[in-house]
Amino acid sequence: MKKKKRRLSLAQKRAITGFVFISPWLIGFLIYYVRSIYMTVQFSLSEVSPAVGGYEAKFVGLKNLKYIFLEHPQFNQQLVISMRDVFIDVPLIIIFSLLMAMLLNQKFVGRTIVRAVFFLPVIMGSAAITTAIDNARSAMVGGVSSTAADIVDASSSSVNVDYYLALFKDIGLPSGILDYVVGAVERLSDVVSLSGVQIVIFIAALQSISGSLYEVAKIEGATGYETFWKVTFPMVMPHIITCLVYTVVDSFANSEVVSLSYDEIFSNNHYDYGSAMSLVSTIVVCAVLFAVVAVIQKRTFYYN
Amino acid sequence: MNRYMAKEKLKKPRRKLFHRHKQLNRSTAGNTLIFTFMIICGCFMALPLVMIVNNALKPLDEIFQYPPKIFVRNPSLDNFTDLFVSMNDTWVPFSRYIANTIIITGGGTIGHVLIASLAAYPLAKHNFPGKKTLFSMVVLSLMFSWTVTQIPIYMIVSYLHINNTYWALILTAWQYGLGLYLMKQFMEQLPNSLMESARLDGASEFRVFWSIVMPNVKPAWLTLAIFQFQSMWGNTGATYLRSEQLKPMQYALLQIQGGGAARAGAAQAVTFVLAAVPVIFFLICQSNILETMTSSGMKD
Repeated sequence: MKKKKRRLSLAQKRAITGFVFISPWLIGFLIYYVRSIYMTVQFSLSEVSPAVGGYEAKFVGLKNLKYIFLEHPQFNQQLVISMRDVFIDVPLIIIFSLLMAMLLNQKFVGRTIVRAVFFLPVIMGSAAITTAIDNARSAMVGGVSSTAADIVDASSSSVNVDYYLALFKDIGLPSGILDYVVGAVERLSDVVSLSGVQIVIFIAALQSISGSLYEVAKIEGATGYETFWKVTFPMVMPHIITCLVYTVVDSFANSEVVSLSYDEIFSNNHYDYGSAMSLVSTIVVCAVLFAVVAVIQKRTFYYN
Repeated sequence: MNRYMAKEKLKKPRRKLFHRHKQLNRSTAGNTLIFTFMIICGCFMALPLVMIVNNALKPLDEIFQYPPKIFVRNPSLDNFTDLFVSMNDTWVPFSRYIANTIIITGGGTIGHVLIASLAAYPLAKHNFPGKKTLFSMVVLSLMFSWTVTQIPIYMIVSYLHINNTYWALILTAWQYGLGLYLMKQFMEQLPNSLMESARLDGASEFRVFWSIVMPNVKPAWLTLAIFQFQSMWGNTGATYLRSEQLKPMQYALLQIQGGGAARAGAAQAVTFVLAAVPVIFFLICQSNILETMTSSGMKD
């Protein structure tokens, strides 16, 4: 036994250490997520009905998928709408949060507090706090509460875009671009409040770029523009992928399709249809994401 | 004269809000535009917090005032006194709730950061069979929305017989894939030679991880801690915890809030406390993210 161990190559030894490091996470991951994903797939391919001591799943093949695509009144439409929303939101969120992170990365008085302000929507969005705000609101009575509600909701209301729409139509812009711009303006408030996490990731990314790179750029006489494209941008590229993945996942988690499948499961008690819906939307997201990441990954610069 | 000028020079950088030297080629007009935009966005985002702080300081008559005002006229701490009074007649002593929160939120956050970093290190810096498959699995797991996986996860928790224990919340939080993904991306950026030199000096793999890799990705794990704390704090644990002795403070505070109009004052204070804790945690973590010079001492 001992002799065998000695014969392990360095690469093998390191592989074993690697597995040891990963194992605490992997065990939990296999127990929790792999199994729950497996169950979701299983449910979407079978007819689920409540039974004594849990549920009963009868395998029915692709029947559920057929139903949601061909018979369900809303699914197709909602899937397309969600996709469109994601396509409009994601580039905007990434660009906005990178810009914000660069601004917030500069040295100025009270920058930690300003950073906190931009992280506020994420904090306010968590379940316990939304419930608390709702409760506090309902503690006030009658007309007062509805007005108070209006004030709180003002933070998430959208901009009136009809005026701009008429303006742009007069200029004669192509409708494709126009739709995108209109969608963007309508979502401005959403974009701002959805980029909290991304800003924080980008700040951490900017912090881990070594100062000597900027020093070199400065000595060589690079302009700010050049420094951004030659130093900052390549160095944060891997984190753009991280943010991309997070943003796509996050916007899909809050999209119409997911709320549809949620309704299907918890209001209509169709666990099978809901699972099938989420499976379809997951496959769509994966396809989009892997395509985009594959394109970006090729252009990504890694230090080694 | 000369001395006076020297003094003036010393004073100047302190007075200026922004350090000029990093942005030599940016115009003042552009700067003003960008910062105006930033200030507008900032005000927009700060509005809910301003509301919460002001409401918490309003005396009862101002809370019920119609039409409501955003800013408080006669600030008082009555709401907080109300809250402390209601804390005294909860079912189990309030300190128990606080201890539960510390165990659940603290355990969930620290454990997740440690386990995710441990797993991310070999994924970023080692080669072993099945690495790519494992990593795609992580990304795949992120795609499944939580609304659908929550029933399977509940079933797994009850299958493991950890329902109605702290572990139901803590263990579930540990395994989420996003932290691993984030840490892996950051560790990939570290130069290999940094770890190589530590190994040449005879450091064990764990030593390399703990004293070379982790300090160098400090911005990353502080960021991860912020996210994880945030999601742990938002979880009232009502799904898994049935006995009152195990429930976290957030749950108890929301119960106090449910008292209706009689508790309207305390309700405002509760909202303030629930929002303030994550904000403070964010401030502490962010102010600790200092420049970690990754390549200091490297010559290549």
